[in-house]
Amino acid sequence: MSAVSTWVSETLVRDPTERRIFAVLGLITVLLVVGVLTGVIGPRFLLFQIALVGMYALLSLGLNVQWGYAGLINFSVAAFWGIGAYCAALLTAPNSPLGLGLHPVFGFLAAIVVSAFIAVLIGIPTLRLREDYLAIASLGLAEVIRAIILNERQWTAGSSGISGIPNLMSWLPLTDAATTAAIVVVLIAVVYLFLRRVHRSPWGRVLRTIRSDEDLAKALGKNTYQFKMQAFVIGSVIMAVAGAFYAHLNLYIDPSDLVPLTTFYIWIAVILGGTGSNRGAVVGAAVVIAIREGTRFLNDIGFIQTLGIDLAPLRLLFVGGLIILIMRFRQDGLLPPKDELIWPAARDESSTGGASPSGAVPDGGTASNGGDDR
Amino acid sequence: MNDGAYEGAHLGKDDVVLKTTDLEKAFGGLVATDGVSIEVERGTITGMIGPNGAGKSTLFNLISGFYENDAGHVTVNGEDVTDLEPHERARKGLVRTFQTPRRLEGMSVREAMLVGPGPQKGESIFSLFFSGSDVTEEERANIEQTRELLERFEIGHLIDQPSTDLSGGQMKLVELARAFTTDPDILLLDEPVAGVNPTLANDIKRFIRELNEEGQTFLIIEHDMPFIMDLADPIIVLDQGKVLMEGSPDEVRSDDRVIEAYLGGAGP
Repeated sequence: MSAVSTWVSETLVRDPTERRIFAVLGLITVLLVVGVLTGVIGPRFLLFQIALVGMYALLSLGLNVQWGYAGLINFSVAAFWGIGAYCAALLTAPNSPLGLGLHPVFGFLAAIVVSAFIAVLIGIPTLRLREDYLAIASLGLAEVIRAIILNERQWTAGSSGISGIPNLMSWLPLTDAATTAAIVVVLIAVVYLFLRRVHRSPWGRVLRTIRSDEDLAKALGKNTYQFKMQAFVIGSVIMAVAGAFYAHLNLYIDPSDLVPLTTFYIWIAVILGGTGSNRGAVVGAAVVIAIREGTRFLNDIGFIQTLGIDLAPLRLLFVGGLIILIMRFRQDGLLPPKDELIWPAARDESSTGGASPSGAVPDGGTASNGGDDR
Repeated sequence: MNDGAYEGAHLGKDDVVLKTTDLEKAFGGLVATDGVSIEVERGTITGMIGPNGAGKSTLFNLISGFYENDAGHVTVNGEDVTDLEPHERARKGLVRTFQTPRRLEGMSVREAMLVGPGPQKGESIFSLFFSGSDVTEEERANIEQTRELLERFEIGHLIDQPSTDLSGGQMKLVELARAFTTDPDILLLDEPVAGVNPTLANDIKRFIRELNEEGQTFLIIEHDMPFIMDLADPIIVLDQGKVLMEGSPDEVRSDDRVIEAYLGGAGP
């Protein structure tokens, strides 16, 4: 047990504020469990929400690779998510326009291949240029993808969407909701471990250098174009996997979710959680979904009913208010990155200070570099 | 000053690391670099001075590949690098620093230093998964080198500091140390003591001299006259995008054309 608590205190929780954040998250978890046990919350509903949070966490992890690691401004999160979702839906749903009804594995594979291909296609002309060109091109890409899916009815079924997408691993002895929740947990774990390994390394270091000062990276002989391309493709593929998963979670997909708003929810999640931090991306996604889904029920609360106003449509206001609070009181996000980007196995434990994993980078409150230039 | 006054740099040196031939660059109607041919001999500290707007920084950017030249060639160790990207030139052994220290947000001094050596095995995702022990070994060696270099430059105590917390002079030292970890054939320093207090400037001078004695070649732009006159030999003087002259510090100091250029004698 002590090993676990050491691990928790060294890898998850590093300062009192983080302890408070995790305490709040723990409290919410307890409340949810109590809610299920007392029958206030249906377990099926909760599992669906967990899967949804997980999917958003994957999207945030993907964007974190692009924006958090490399400083790439990608406004087509929804597009890569949609590419993944449509790859899965088109290949696996028996009544999709393609009518193939393949095994879900093929949907995921297609999502990975197609998203990687499109990421490279967008990256080639834009990643050699200043960062704003990718921002503009990706904004365009998002609309192009949405327009294609909406209008090429013979391939995509257009606005009527695709239904009949099969459940994942329905042979497992669990309910469908529990299975999808379990799958997303596994997906997040795999992605998280992968990113953890590549980030705390010379590779992650070059990306962070590019993010701060691309000219410096070039002057030191780094092929920045190649590094940015790798980050862009990895991030896009993670987003597409999230999309493919969503198709099997929702069992129905139409182009209405491919709007820029989806993209901006993910941006909010990453910034809220702490740009560049994987833990932060997951927590940020959970917070954004909690607000988005939680506000649906605000009108059911008796006190608010007596006010006679409809609060649910104000959810963006809540998200905005939260962002302002975070930026005011915790500029670097809820759980900002803390690790030095040094290959863990090579850390010099004997030297002074080198052993402390948190020694180098100041926490948000005391950082002299501050948040002014964010 | 008439064109005849532009004597040009000394060419035909023995062991040339860096050579430019008739480099030209114009921004619209302004000719910033006008047929510059210089040679930097291996093992020297070559200085480059000139009044504001003489085209020193433009020339640096052309040499390091950050600007595209309109005409002319750049050669490193006899190899034409004119068509190469900045990072490719760096790998050929031509490494530069920047005039304003570059701040690496969210990185410790240790991390900022470790970006220097390259290409590293751990910069490939494939190696991170399939040859982790090689990455570990290389990373250990690089960390050790970082520690030694910082100690040598007498800033070993800063290794855990956020790299954004350093003073201007300390940042210049880190830049110099990092540039050195790339194992360059020639180091281009753009104003290494601009905005640095005199004590630290003297330290920087001492370290540059030490590295030079160990065989490191330098090309240094500097506005601080006593600093560069004491450190560099030969010195190349630029004026209005052209090489005015090249010579020892004494020759440069007593040259009428140089004095005229600095005192605003430019013009026909």
